[in-house]
Amino acid sequence: MSDAVADKPQAITSRHDARYKVTLYEHVGIDNAWTLDYYLEHEGYQAAKKALTTMQPDDVVNEVKKSGLRGRGGAGFPTGVKWSFMPKPDGRQRFILCNGDESEPGSFKDRYILEDDPHQLVEGLMIAGYAMSATIGIVYIRGEYHLGYDRLVSAIKDARAAGYLGKDIFGSGFDFDIIVHRGAGAYICGEETALMNSFEGLRGNPRMKPPFPAQAGVYGRPTTINNVTSITSAVHIIKHGAEWFASMGTDDSKGTKLYQVSGCVNRPGVYEMPMGATFGELIYDFAGGPSEDAKAFIPGGSSTPLMPFTDEYLSAPMSYDGIAKKGSMLGTGGVIVIPKEKCLVNFMWNCVRFYAHESCGKCTPCREGVATWMPKMFQKLVMGRGEPGDLELIENMSNNIKGTGFCVHADAAMWPIDASIKYFRDEYEYLIANGVSKYPRTTWWKD
Amino acid sequence: MKVIVNDRELDLPPGTSAIDAVFQAGYDVPYFCSQEYMSPIGACRLCLAKVGAPRKDRATGEWILDEETGEPKVFWFPKPMATCTTAVMEGMVIDTKCQETKNAQKSMMEFTLINHPLDCPVCDKGGACELQDRAYEYGEGVSRFDFDKRHQEKHHALSPLITLDRERCIHCKRCVRYFEEIPGDEVLDFIERGGHTYIGTLDDGLPSNFTGNITDICPVGALLDATSRFRGRNWEYRHTRTTSTDDSSGSAIMVDSRTGRIERIKAARHTRINHDWIDDGTRFGHEYADAEDRLKTPLIKKDGTFQEATWEEASAFISDKLQATKNVGVAIRADATLEEAVGAAALADHLHGTYDYYPKTPAAITPSATPATLDDVATSNALFVLADVTEEVPIVDLRIKDALKGVTPPEPMAHGIPIADLRLKEHMPKKTAILSVAAPYQVDLMKYAGRTITYSAGHEAALLRALLATAKGNTADVDGLSIDQNLGIDQNLGIDHELGIDQDGLSALVKQLQDNDDAVIVYGGWVLASAEASELANQLAKVTGSKVLPLAPMANSRGLEVIETATGDVLEDASALILSNLNPARASHFVNHRKTLDLLVVHDTFMTETAELADVVLPAKTGYEKEGTVVNLEGRILPLNAVPVDSGTSEDFTGLVKALGDAMGTRLAGRSVRSARRALKETLGFDLADLPSEGMLPENLPTQHHGRPASSEKSANAVIVPTMSRPEYLSRNPRLQIAQGALALRVNPADAHKHGLTAHERVKIDVSGVTRRLVIKTDERVPAGVSLVPAIAEQPCGLARVDFASARPDPVMPVPPVQTDAGTMTAEVGD
Amino acid sequence: MTELPTIKPFFADKQDIVDEILGRYPEYGQRSAVMPLLWEVQRAERHVNEARIAEIATILDMHPTEVKGVMSFYSTYHEQPVGKYHLQVCATLSCSLAGADEMYDYLVDELGIVNGETDREGRFSLQKVECLGSCGTAPVLQVNHTYYECVTRSRCKHLLETMRADTLPEPWRERGGDNVGVEKAQPVKSPGAEGGNT
Repeated sequence: MSDAVADKPQAITSRHDARYKVTLYEHVGIDNAWTLDYYLEHEGYQAAKKALTTMQPDDVVNEVKKSGLRGRGGAGFPTGVKWSFMPKPDGRQRFILCNGDESEPGSFKDRYILEDDPHQLVEGLMIAGYAMSATIGIVYIRGEYHLGYDRLVSAIKDARAAGYLGKDIFGSGFDFDIIVHRGAGAYICGEETALMNSFEGLRGNPRMKPPFPAQAGVYGRPTTINNVTSITSAVHIIKHGAEWFASMGTDDSKGTKLYQVSGCVNRPGVYEMPMGATFGELIYDFAGGPSEDAKAFIPGGSSTPLMPFTDEYLSAPMSYDGIAKKGSMLGTGGVIVIPKEKCLVNFMWNCVRFYAHESCGKCTPCREGVATWMPKMFQKLVMGRGEPGDLELIENMSNNIKGTGFCVHADAAMWPIDASIKYFRDEYEYLIANGVSKYPRTTWWKD
Repeated sequence: MKVIVNDRELDLPPGTSAIDAVFQAGYDVPYFCSQEYMSPIGACRLCLAKVGAPRKDRATGEWILDEETGEPKVFWFPKPMATCTTAVMEGMVIDTKCQETKNAQKSMMEFTLINHPLDCPVCDKGGACELQDRAYEYGEGVSRFDFDKRHQEKHHALSPLITLDRERCIHCKRCVRYFEEIPGDEVLDFIERGGHTYIGTLDDGLPSNFTGNITDICPVGALLDATSRFRGRNWEYRHTRTTSTDDSSGSAIMVDSRTGRIERIKAARHTRINHDWIDDGTRFGHEYADAEDRLKTPLIKKDGTFQEATWEEASAFISDKLQATKNVGVAIRADATLEEAVGAAALADHLHGTYDYYPKTPAAITPSATPATLDDVATSNALFVLADVTEEVPIVDLRIKDALKGVTPPEPMAHGIPIADLRLKEHMPKKTAILSVAAPYQVDLMKYAGRTITYSAGHEAALLRALLATAKGNTADVDGLSIDQNLGIDQNLGIDHELGIDQDGLSALVKQLQDNDDAVIVYGGWVLASAEASELANQLAKVTGSKVLPLAPMANSRGLEVIETATGDVLEDASALILSNLNPARASHFVNHRKTLDLLVVHDTFMTETAELADVVLPAKTGYEKEGTVVNLEGRILPLNAVPVDSGTSEDFTGLVKALGDAMGTRLAGRSVRSARRALKETLGFDLADLPSEGMLPENLPTQHHGRPASSEKSANAVIVPTMSRPEYLSRNPRLQIAQGALALRVNPADAHKHGLTAHERVKIDVSGVTRRLVIKTDERVPAGVSLVPAIAEQPCGLARVDFASARPDPVMPVPPVQTDAGTMTAEVGD
Repeated sequence: MTELPTIKPFFADKQDIVDEILGRYPEYGQRSAVMPLLWEVQRAERHVNEARIAEIATILDMHPTEVKGVMSFYSTYHEQPVGKYHLQVCATLSCSLAGADEMYDYLVDELGIVNGETDREGRFSLQKVECLGSCGTAPVLQVNHTYYECVTRSRCKHLLETMRADTLPEPWRERGGDNVGVEKAQPVKSPGAEGGNT
């Protein structure tokens, strides 16, 4: 190895790398980790103090830009760049809106932060607010997360009492406080513009872009929307530095990320790993491997196209590019492992019903296609009444729905269907030809 | 900006939507959710097209060029764009003819139709249905959906006037957006989400004066006009565009008639007055034109009973009687056309008698200050409204709501009003700070006003005086009303007076009017009832540099001022009367006065109390049936086009003048519309036959107004208030009456208790000498000690005295019940 | 029997709660309070009826129709009263792989009600819901505000027994993953059984 190459340290792309340390989930699962006392005993609010008292807002934005952090809510937009879209302060109120409406099937990483380490989010919001001169942070938390809501509200109350929220924090001249707003059960409200509408007390339909939230967001004021994990990542970026964050991950996907595993694995749960680690490492080395024969897996939440459970795909690095090269997306990193004996058409029917139930109903292809026709087609197949031509009809409908909806919900509903047909067409054809599934097992419930 | 649509190149202003580019170029895409006067939302996805645009190199700032052609390269957007929500960019290319676009249109149409019921054979919208037309043009022709369609409620009565078929709804959201964006009454919304979404309300009966417009804009047969349900097929209707005579707005209407019957009234587009909207009174108040008891032939009273006669017989009879009469009075109603007025004046002149119209305000309606147009109202940044505009001239309420949005009216493009105006958005904040509303009780428009003034009834002049004094810089001691002596003070009003605003408020309001050179003062019947108040309003406008918009009481009140009338009171002074559409016999003193008359001729549509007392009754055309001209509250001259209605031998006043003229052996001006127009050409300076359909707004109309002094009501305890629905005909518009309620005497609950009146009780009651038939309605918003009585032609806006002791039960005489989707409902004969 | 709500206005004696909720939002954003106000009613009366909708509309100067439009958009506001124990079965992907469909069928058989129904006593109601965000501990059953995770058949049976005796067991909340490794975490008590405010 030449000196030039040896000079630059190898990026950390595996959790087995001794240099890697868990940071986001460091305190999750520990009793009382959600209290202010515990948080302060573990360097709590030090990063915020550093940002507010020693850095300028633009410095914070640049640090996050340099770190290479990409949005952890699924879209993967560079967070620092998003922060820099906010216009210059012009007297209008500015908001940092945290998207805690985690409803993507397969995703459950934000919940434990809200329940076990809410101060991390509070501190992250302070840093993000400071960076963008936004004096009000809003956390929109999904309505079903009651424990998370209670813990977060309690944490905010304690932080306020201790002076970490309110006026002139750390004597920096920066005021900041947080509104916590509970959702009420609608996946579409996780879409950033629908989130804003829902927060404003309107029905949760998405809005047109342009105008973008940074220009006209909550109540028409400049707003930036970020996922819970994106915001908490900012704490560690400020604490340890952008280089530290960028030392982990691949060229296009930097930093540490929370991956979730569910489905037929021995140790399902959330695993924090550097980006670029492979699916194989996640599923076998940490999640205990499949608990029975697996045939497919979803890489990043139900909206991401599934992939066959083969070495070719399992060896892909879990990065935006790495997965894109395999024809899918990273999404939220919520891996679902699908057992061989699960009828894939039935599984897809479940997925289709999810998107149908969560459609907001605004636009025609989603309301009539995703929410009405597609579930009926899948029901027809699963009930054994499929006819020749049905599969082609589904493919054609999928083509007509993709790209024509008002927001990406319609597309997200079709990608999994396309992938399932691409890789498991045989199961569809078997079902249509025979009226029964190739994999008829229906007993999954453990005693 | 350069925009290319298929093979045509256009130059369009920035901010134009792609869909308007398509139409401007003469091409076409289907759309359902866009509506010219509402926000574009991109929901239906029918307008999808393949769109592309050139890009600039980030580094050099130059257009990226196509290597082969050397022209800026067109980068096609990765998916089809909804053209209604896409703003044009420099060099944008829109392809509406390629396969990708056609595919999108076909598939979107297929999706739209999968849950739409096959109701065309029984649906009122058939033949005028946007979905039918577009499906035929852009759909595949065959659907591949062979499951059960979604089933929902099929004839839900949203109100007695509007029926909703939920299965037919294609979720374009026009109705929901309409209510939020136009009148601001959000009484309709989507319920549930996804595939289960449906339209519903919790505001029973849709409380708004403008509900009917949703039946016009609904692209399918989901929202239907209940008055015309199952009455005919759209292609059977004769469509007549004319001007409504129900109020002074001059709103354009489209009257659908069939075999001599009016089946339905819709809004017609008028880009300067009412856009695409009309109020519910105008829309649903037509059933009276086909009432069973409509007068169809002349009647002559012989031996105490009426005998049918011909016009010749009746005219001969009248002419005979007139020989012996000295002092003939000819009086018409203020919604008569200019041509009718010419005839009435000519007739009176020929008979050496007097001519006048009722109601007539003490001061001229034509203002001395600069008059405002409705567009001026809609673009104003400082509005002071002294009226209950939502009832008096409802369309003005909608134009005020336009002003609150702060978006100027759209400029028409070659293809008409732009289909998708990107400046309009859902839930735009309302600039309430620009609006101040003053009234003697709480009125609906006050909800949208930044400043509200509830003053004591009858104190319009005092309020205006205080404002004028403030504007001129005189100190005004408001509390004790001891104001600068030069301006004088009202007396004898008997109602505890309060101006409802302090000096700071007066100053702020005046400053707002002064600071904005587009300020408009809107004043209604209560101001017009006082010559002094009218004058003060105009002075205030002049001093603050504002324009004025007087809310003329009836359709042609402004226009009738161009023709000279009598001084004095024709109804009192004349010894023989020819009355057209007037019913003074409800006033007891007229019943006595009648006995002294040599002759009473009544020209009316129905047998009224006055007609009962007449010697001759002549059948009158309704406003729908007239050919003629009216002048609206702006001073805009507008045409009436006759709707073919079978009304026997009914005539308008020009017909009466012809018949009478023939009998008297003379040819009078105004014996026909044409002859009247010849006379008017002299007065107005142009030929009314050339009037374009949107009318014209001349610089000045000559005014020859002789005011009629206001009846000074001693010890008033009531205010006469405007109502949207025409009181003369409400009882014969059963559905409208069920929806709006019968004409009501509105009292504060404490007063009702004090006078022993119960809510919903029907009474005959004396109001300033006129017997009114009203239903009691208790309302907390009515101030204590003041009642509200609806205005009629014989008792216009102003003050009055209700004699509570005179109240006696008025037994209900129901008209035949009407079938609605909410069951059978009964209207009641009333005032 | 399910208690019918009284006609007395809900918020008449709760002005402090209303003020606190309205105070959370800026003065130009008061409409945001419609969701927390709906939740107050839902929580206390197990449903939101038209009278309550009208009250909320009056507080916020909205039309009742608008409030209904917002309320009906979401899955956790109900027009009809839910039971004392509102059982929400997560039925999506990972939970269905872990047997959620069987659990739902079991509950239907045991309780005699289906999705969207409340039993005659008003004790149980059943709702199939979408992903609850606890895929690692599937199948998940949410009872009122609490997640019961890793609900095996025997646990489900135990849960029904305790609910029929008018109590609830401590929630099972295993973590797995990066939390405490393979061992099960101690059950965690929620600060307020009905969920707190502030």
